[in-house]
Amino acid sequence: MKQARVGLLVATALLAWPLGAQAQQRGRPKKRPKAEAPAAEPAAEPTAAPPPEGAAGAQAPGAAAEPAPAAPAAPEPPPEEAKGICEENPELCPQIDLNRAAAREVPAPMYAVQQIYALRARRFEINPYWSFTLNDQFVSHNGPGLSLNYYLTNVFAVGANFNFYSGLNQPSEFNAQTRRAARVAVPLTEFNWSAGLNFTYVPVYGKFAGFSDFIFHYDLYVVGGVGMLSNRPIAVIDPDNRTFDSKTRLTIANPGLGLRIFFNRWFAATMEVRDYIFLDELENTELQNTTEEATNRDNWYGETKLTNHVQAQLGVSIFFPFSWHYQKPK
Amino acid sequence: MNAAKAVRRCLLVLGAVAAAQGAPRPAEAQEIQVTGPLAGAPAVRRLRQHRKGRVEIAPNASFTLLDEYQRTILFGARLNYNLADWLALGVWGAHGTIKTTTSLADQIQEVNDRRFSDDPNVNPDAGTGANNTDRRLTAPNVGRDFKEQLGAINWVIAPQATFVPFRGKLSLFEKIFVDTDVYFFVGPAFIGLSERENCGLGTSVDCAARAVDPATGALGAPLTKGTTSRVAVAPTGGIGLSLYTGPFTAVGIEYRALPFAWNTGGFDTRGGPPGEDFPDGKVDDKDRQFKFTQMITLSVSFYLPAKPKLSE
Repeated sequence: MKQARVGLLVATALLAWPLGAQAQQRGRPKKRPKAEAPAAEPAAEPTAAPPPEGAAGAQAPGAAAEPAPAAPAAPEPPPEEAKGICEENPELCPQIDLNRAAAREVPAPMYAVQQIYALRARRFEINPYWSFTLNDQFVSHNGPGLSLNYYLTNVFAVGANFNFYSGLNQPSEFNAQTRRAARVAVPLTEFNWSAGLNFTYVPVYGKFAGFSDFIFHYDLYVVGGVGMLSNRPIAVIDPDNRTFDSKTRLTIANPGLGLRIFFNRWFAATMEVRDYIFLDELENTELQNTTEEATNRDNWYGETKLTNHVQAQLGVSIFFPFSWHYQKPK
Repeated sequence: MNAAKAVRRCLLVLGAVAAAQGAPRPAEAQEIQVTGPLAGAPAVRRLRQHRKGRVEIAPNASFTLLDEYQRTILFGARLNYNLADWLALGVWGAHGTIKTTTSLADQIQEVNDRRFSDDPNVNPDAGTGANNTDRRLTAPNVGRDFKEQLGAINWVIAPQATFVPFRGKLSLFEKIFVDTDVYFFVGPAFIGLSERENCGLGTSVDCAARAVDPATGALGAPLTKGTTSRVAVAPTGGIGLSLYTGPFTAVGIEYRALPFAWNTGGFDTRGGPPGEDFPDGKVDDKDRQFKFTQMITLSVSFYLPAKPKLSE
């Protein structure tokens, strides 16, 4: 039974242990007075928690890394709250002038970018987006998309994405005007969907101070992979006889460049430019002389052309899990 | 004895639960409220002020995007005086030095050449004369040298205000660290344009003028359409990114929109009924269409004085 009592004591102590971490004060930050820090600040306050990134003393965007000399701190009479401990044990009595200590410049080691704000390693990213055509002035292929990634390391991810275009293709008015004015028809193509497997690499990360007031973090990534794209020509040369079925094409390389701006450690806005490269079969620009020839499907397709479909993708990213541990303090 | 065993087991389980409770946990996005001497402090101290009180001279090259018939590369420079680290006043000027046709313009030229060829191997309709449908219908719109009738941006001058709300730095491959800023600019733009000259009803120019064979009097290919110059005024604006490569140098990339109405192809497309959406037999200002002309600019910036100031 003695063992049981000891065990109970150990268990109680273990249960109580993590409760100590919840002592941090909550609430809105106070404005620092013009002259000095508040005199009635608890003695433990300056060392209670490390400043957040972006706060003074932490690494700052564009800040010059020149350490300034620390102001000497002279002994001062203890504050009211500390009198008790001074009477009990003068050796433990605070010898720090809080006002001067607060005003001093901290010659802390400066890192260009300390403790990456949003770690990506071993996290999933869900990235819904809306895409806009950038290089097809004849037909715009705008539509929704979804990208899923898993970051194997902090800078490398594997994933997949899906774009949906069906019913959203928008031929430009300029096609009809050119046909009417110059009697030259350009073969047009509409997309149904595309899907791909991707590799993502994040070579660049950084942060910005907005209006010298708040700080946000961002990264730049490159992406590439292979995939499939389903499309079909829009019959413009001989619409009376031609009706095209959709075909699936292989897309290769699909290089892209993206920017991700973090609002917090798991939610970000994304902007990506992506080039889907594939061999496209265009409508035959020649008209056949007989009905039999015109209705023969073999005569409907003309040139096969290497096509770059460049699109901008604007969306948001959500990372799972929401939190993680840093291995090092800096 | 069994009771003691049961108690021990219970304690073991309790201990395991307690140990799990005591194990380190993720921070769970804990917000650290700054309540000490850092409260209210500026976000950045000892900031290198690359802009404040400095003159920026930035030679640049601009590349137009999503062009229908002709792409333009403009070479020019941006001149700014930075009143503060977040505000600059200046001017951007550029000359449309290089103009290249798109594949569509090349295709129109090729078809037009073929259409007016007298070689039956090239033109199956050769010998059908002036009444050939394609020749007749396209003559008002496509000249002998199609490129010469295309709308072109010859120069742009844009006084502009630049706002720099975001200032930061980036790490490249975790090796190279560069100060950066993101800026927005806005202002009026004066655009020197070449456009096809007015023709048709109400003018002295025949839109469909064609070469005449002096010997036979037969009509040949349409004459190259003439162009005229004008200055368009439009708003301009965009967003840019500067990467400071040194105390007085930077490289930058910016996106600029220049929305205005112009006739890019030199065609008669509007002015006729119904609703002025059809050709009216003349080329005039009704044929100008609103285009969201846009371009990407690459620049190298030099700042004077050469040394930036440091903030508090």
